Amino acid sequence: MQEQSPPVLAAIDIGSNTIHIVVAHCRPDTLDIIEDQVELVRIGESVTATGAISTEKRDAALAVLRQYRTLAEQHSARKIFTVATEAIRKASNSHEFLEDIKRETGLEVRLISGNAEATLTFYGATYEESKQAGTPARVAVMDLGGGSTELVTARNMHITWRTSLPIGSGWLHDRYLLENPPTPDDLAVAHTFLRTYLQGIRIKPQPPMLIVTGGSANSLLLLARQAFRLDPSSKHLTYDDLMRCEGLMSALPAEEISQRYQQPIGRARILPAGALIIREVMSRLNLDEISVSPHGIREGVLLAYARYGESWLERVNEEASTSIFPPGANYEKATMLDGGEAFVQAGQRMLRERVEKLLDWRDEVLRNEDIEAIHRMRVATRRLRATLDAFESCCDPGQFKRVYRRIKKMADLLGSARDIDVMVQGLRAQIEQIPDAEIAGLRWLIQRLDTYRQQRQQALADFFSRLDERDLKKQVESCIREGD
Amino acid sequence: MAKARPITGLDVHAPTGRIARIIAGIRLDELYYWSRYTDDSYHVLELHNLRIAAKRLRYTLEIFAGVLPGACLSIVKELEMIQEELGALHDRDVMIALLRLCLDSRGSDIVSNHALPDKSEQIVLPLELVADVVNPAVAPVAAERYGLEQLLLRYQRDREEQYNTFQQHWHRLQARDFRQEILDILDAR
Repeated sequence: MQEQSPPVLAAIDIGSNTIHIVVAHCRPDTLDIIEDQVELVRIGESVTATGAISTEKRDAALAVLRQYRTLAEQHSARKIFTVATEAIRKASNSHEFLEDIKRETGLEVRLISGNAEATLTFYGATYEESKQAGTPARVAVMDLGGGSTELVTARNMHITWRTSLPIGSGWLHDRYLLENPPTPDDLAVAHTFLRTYLQGIRIKPQPPMLIVTGGSANSLLLLARQAFRLDPSSKHLTYDDLMRCEGLMSALPAEEISQRYQQPIGRARILPAGALIIREVMSRLNLDEISVSPHGIREGVLLAYARYGESWLERVNEEASTSIFPPGANYEKATMLDGGEAFVQAGQRMLRERVEKLLDWRDEVLRNEDIEAIHRMRVATRRLRATLDAFESCCDPGQFKRVYRRIKKMADLLGSARDIDVMVQGLRAQIEQIPDAEIAGLRWLIQRLDTYRQQRQQALADFFSRLDERDLKKQVESCIREGD
Repeated sequence: MAKARPITGLDVHAPTGRIARIIAGIRLDELYYWSRYTDDSYHVLELHNLRIAAKRLRYTLEIFAGVLPGACLSIVKELEMIQEELGALHDRDVMIALLRLCLDSRGSDIVSNHALPDKSEQIVLPLELVADVVNPAVAPVAAERYGLEQLLLRYQRDREEQYNTFQQHWHRLQARDFRQEILDILDAR
């Protein structure tokens, strides 16, 4: 008997930059895509400017949605799912906009939460990779958008952690890379900013594989394939590929990139920023390669329906709010970098990030294999103290003093070892350069310092093996009182 | 080491960017408070405090990089350089103090005849290290003492050069009104 053909379904995603449709034959674990189209409407532009969806943007969106409905019907799609995300959620007139869509096109739009969006994007971006042999148990998915970047980690295809970074390719371009092509100085400043910012994001354990989705990542893959003659079937980009893309894009204006490599001009302008963000996230995760996925939330919607039927969105929401993001678990929300985040909230977030960053070095210091670990942990204590100093006005005075003393004690201990390491390094470097008659004195001093350094290592081992990490974290986090 | 000036009375519900500028301004004032000692190479503790103040301002700009103007990164680079120059100077001061201690306790002529003005009492060496180097059981023999004396003389010469490098850099920054430059960047929206 011939196998019954899986149903044809359509999913439309109304996002801040684009409206995107996918029509596919759908099974619970795979999709056979028939149509995949995207239109750049930039609804988010008017929401950012005025807080509302303008009439012009509304009309443009309605025209695209009418066209998509016709397209889905031409393929005899049994159902058309339409979802809307961040920009529509934020718009002051979102209710009227959704009513207009229903009246004018017959499409019923589901406004989905950030957690549901992350879950559906994860389904879409990973369904192909999850079937590949050799896909590791731990993976990360990065959805690089214009205004933000979603980062999700998963174990055995179940989300374990998620963060939303308020940095996107459009944002970075507008803030740092306005020259066309971007200048080396601007790129260096943007790079320093990203490196500094991403250092504060804790991702533990670090995944061995990163799947990147979103318009910029896919455009970079196309550009690299054409410009550097990469295997056209490969979905991988290496760190070096991205460096070469950046080199090309800093040598040629966006107009020429657009013309030579068939990129929309708007996309070509923000691609250097996209490449830089991906590269910095790779550095942060110690990865040399990424896998680029052309799929995202739309494919996730189709898979969710094929898996769960009519109650697909309820199941996704349930999964997102209970097993995936349990209360108080690893969901982190990085907040606005434009100054919109209240100072006290920034303090709560930054103190938590700093203490975790500090404790990341504990095991390496105890292993005593690399003297740089002590230096880095000492620097982390200084940054935590600088953060405490900055947020002292939000802190409970007694708690602040107790935490400060505790961190200072740790810093002093690390400093007493580090200072000796620096002295000994300096003395050893001189042995080759001084007259023979002076070497005996140098060796005597190095020996005395080595003896003292060993005592310091023992003191460090005693201190850090007794350190109660949970207690320290709790103490630091409770510096800023709840409700402030 | 001087403590950071406590900053109170802030509106903790105000946007982070606004408060970050206030904090950076206060850290800048601290830097300039200690900068009054830059023309005396033997204000060892004050120069150390200047270095710590530079570090505090740098960390403040780094911590709040996301809400401060991107141009702050050029300031961070200058502050890193000041910190490195003063750090090298401080490391030399510590080594000089340690060598003087090793030699002084054995009555070396070098210390009394050739040493530069003695400000080494401002440097506090770790107690266990002091106890070890003055322990008669491990005292340096004559050849070792000679090496230590030559090292001390060399370090004292190096220190002068290191101080001059820092001082020239600092004067260059003042010539371009570094303080106003930072304030202008912080004011930029």
